[in-house]
Amino acid sequence: MKPITRFGNIDFLSGLLLAAIAIIALCYIRTLTVGTVLEMGPGYFPLGLALVLLGLGLCLLVKGLFVDAPPVGEFHLRPLFFILLSFAAFGLLIERAGIMVAILAQVAVAHFASRETTVLQSVLTGIGCAVVSAVVFVLILQIPVSILP
Amino acid sequence: MMSVFGLLGHGFAVAATPTNLFFCLVGAVCGTLIGVLPGLGPVATISLLLPATFALDPTAAIIMLSGIYYGAQYGGSTTAILVNIPGESTSVVTAIDGYKMAQQGRAGEALAIAAIGSFIAGCFGTVVIALLGPPLALMTQRFASPDYFSLMVLGLVSAVVLANGSVFRAISMIFLGLLLGMVGMDINTGEARMTFGFVELSDGIDFVALVMGLFGVAEVISNLEDVSVRIVNHTRVGSIWPSFRVLKGAWGAVMRGTLLGTVFGILPGGGATMASFSAYALEKRIAKDPSRFGKGAIEGVAGPESANNAAAQTSFVPLLTMGIPTSATMALMVGALTLHGIAPGPMIISRQPDLFWGLIASMFLGNVMLVIINLPMIGIWVRLLAVPYRVLYLIICVVCAIGVYSVNNSSFDVYLTIGFTLLGYVLRKLHAEPAPLLMGFVLGPMVEENFRRSLITSHGDPMIFLQRPISFALLLLSVALLISMVMPSISRRREEVFQE
Repeated sequence: MKPITRFGNIDFLSGLLLAAIAIIALCYIRTLTVGTVLEMGPGYFPLGLALVLLGLGLCLLVKGLFVDAPPVGEFHLRPLFFILLSFAAFGLLIERAGIMVAILAQVAVAHFASRETTVLQSVLTGIGCAVVSAVVFVLILQIPVSILP
Repeated sequence: MMSVFGLLGHGFAVAATPTNLFFCLVGAVCGTLIGVLPGLGPVATISLLLPATFALDPTAAIIMLSGIYYGAQYGGSTTAILVNIPGESTSVVTAIDGYKMAQQGRAGEALAIAAIGSFIAGCFGTVVIALLGPPLALMTQRFASPDYFSLMVLGLVSAVVLANGSVFRAISMIFLGLLLGMVGMDINTGEARMTFGFVELSDGIDFVALVMGLFGVAEVISNLEDVSVRIVNHTRVGSIWPSFRVLKGAWGAVMRGTLLGTVFGILPGGGATMASFSAYALEKRIAKDPSRFGKGAIEGVAGPESANNAAAQTSFVPLLTMGIPTSATMALMVGALTLHGIAPGPMIISRQPDLFWGLIASMFLGNVMLVIINLPMIGIWVRLLAVPYRVLYLIICVVCAIGVYSVNNSSFDVYLTIGFTLLGYVLRKLHAEPAPLLMGFVLGPMVEENFRRSLITSHGDPMIFLQRPISFALLLLSVALLISMVMPSISRRREEVFQE
């Protein structure tokens, strides 16, 4: 069992995450002018930050390998997946189908994020949100979105 | 001294215009609402309502947004006392004795003391801002860019103190935030940096999308996993008029809590949550009979509730006088001011007197409104607790989505929120707090600007940060703060405070 906690503990994994982000940033910073202390280019400060972050990430990673740390919290995929999907639905529909359809679709998807929702309550909530948002955001605050497709 | 009262009078004239009065009320009501409802904090709400304030003038916008913050301190106590769930992180300790009092049928008493204590503390904190603000701002005006750089370093180090858990991890989060703050156009050359080819990122990562994802939506997902958010509320409130005996017992605790909170709010790394925890520890320590605590001691409600309100007010001091946020909420205020075209810093008081004095006056008025909103109208808020989370989270999601979309009217920001939600969720599972990340993100561009400017004036000599006395003192303070946290005796104490 030991090797599993070795790689599954929070230190090792956060180190891995931070180092990965730093490396992605470094790849991009390569294209920027770094410059010198006297003539700092756009890449100078980000390069420094990314290197420090990489260092911190590697330290955490190594610490996770040799020192015991708490295991990562359990991932609940159901709420995560459906809530994120509901935002994607909103983003895809708001400009194409108007605010009411986008909200109804978002609520419909988000409904599945919890096991406790009831269809009737969610339908009523969805309709309520759609009507109120259409009035408040489109009619009063005038964000440039159509109400219906 | 006289001039302060004269300026305050001017502030009241600004705050008492119908528009500003209205938005102060809106802020107070919204604040109470989110304070009462568990699972939606002030950070998420303020960022949610930020886009809606674009149409307002900056003074009205800031008055409303700060109303949300201190209003949440009032509302949080209601939920803590009645259903034993802290509506806000600052009310965690209030729940210990407050809920016991409610079980004994003394809920009204506890609510009244919490509201009265909050009111006294809120007003006192506001007076402190008015008295301390102008001299501090004058002092900060003498700061040059190296001093500013060091001040920001101190601000960032203070974010580490605030974070729960490992110091090392919090520092990593700050650097991640700083790096995210670099995305967008370079200030000197206008070159796009780390935008990965997205035109939408050329103005930087949208602030609201980042906050909403990390704090708002990620929080919803965690709440859906956590069974404890489900509320059963059977408590009857009872009389809200406390007896003279109770008032006498709570008086000392209110005073001590107020003073403690005032100091904690101004200090870097203080903040409202630390203030309420420390006030509870203090009351327990000096009590003649500490065993009463945890069984419905009124001091256990009065002390922390006063402390968190005083700190909520005085945490505006570093923001308005030096432009340094001491907490995630204050970092949001920096964002709000910047979006309205006001550079946070010592110039606010002299260049925007209407905003500064109007805000202070509105805090007095807001505190009066909050006592009325929270005591006689307590029944409404209690009924609100009956809204089940399975309905609430749907509404929160919709409001988040529209809020993010309406900042730039762009779907891209909604997709960005998805990304940050995922990041926020993963960070939570890795026991890394997003608050230091937000501080780094907000301060990032300012840190870089002052760093670059300092080195240009010193012709590339980094010793400039140690040669200027103010800068040197600030850096020394930052190092001392960091060392103090790493030292075993103090870090153990810090863990105790967070666990209690």
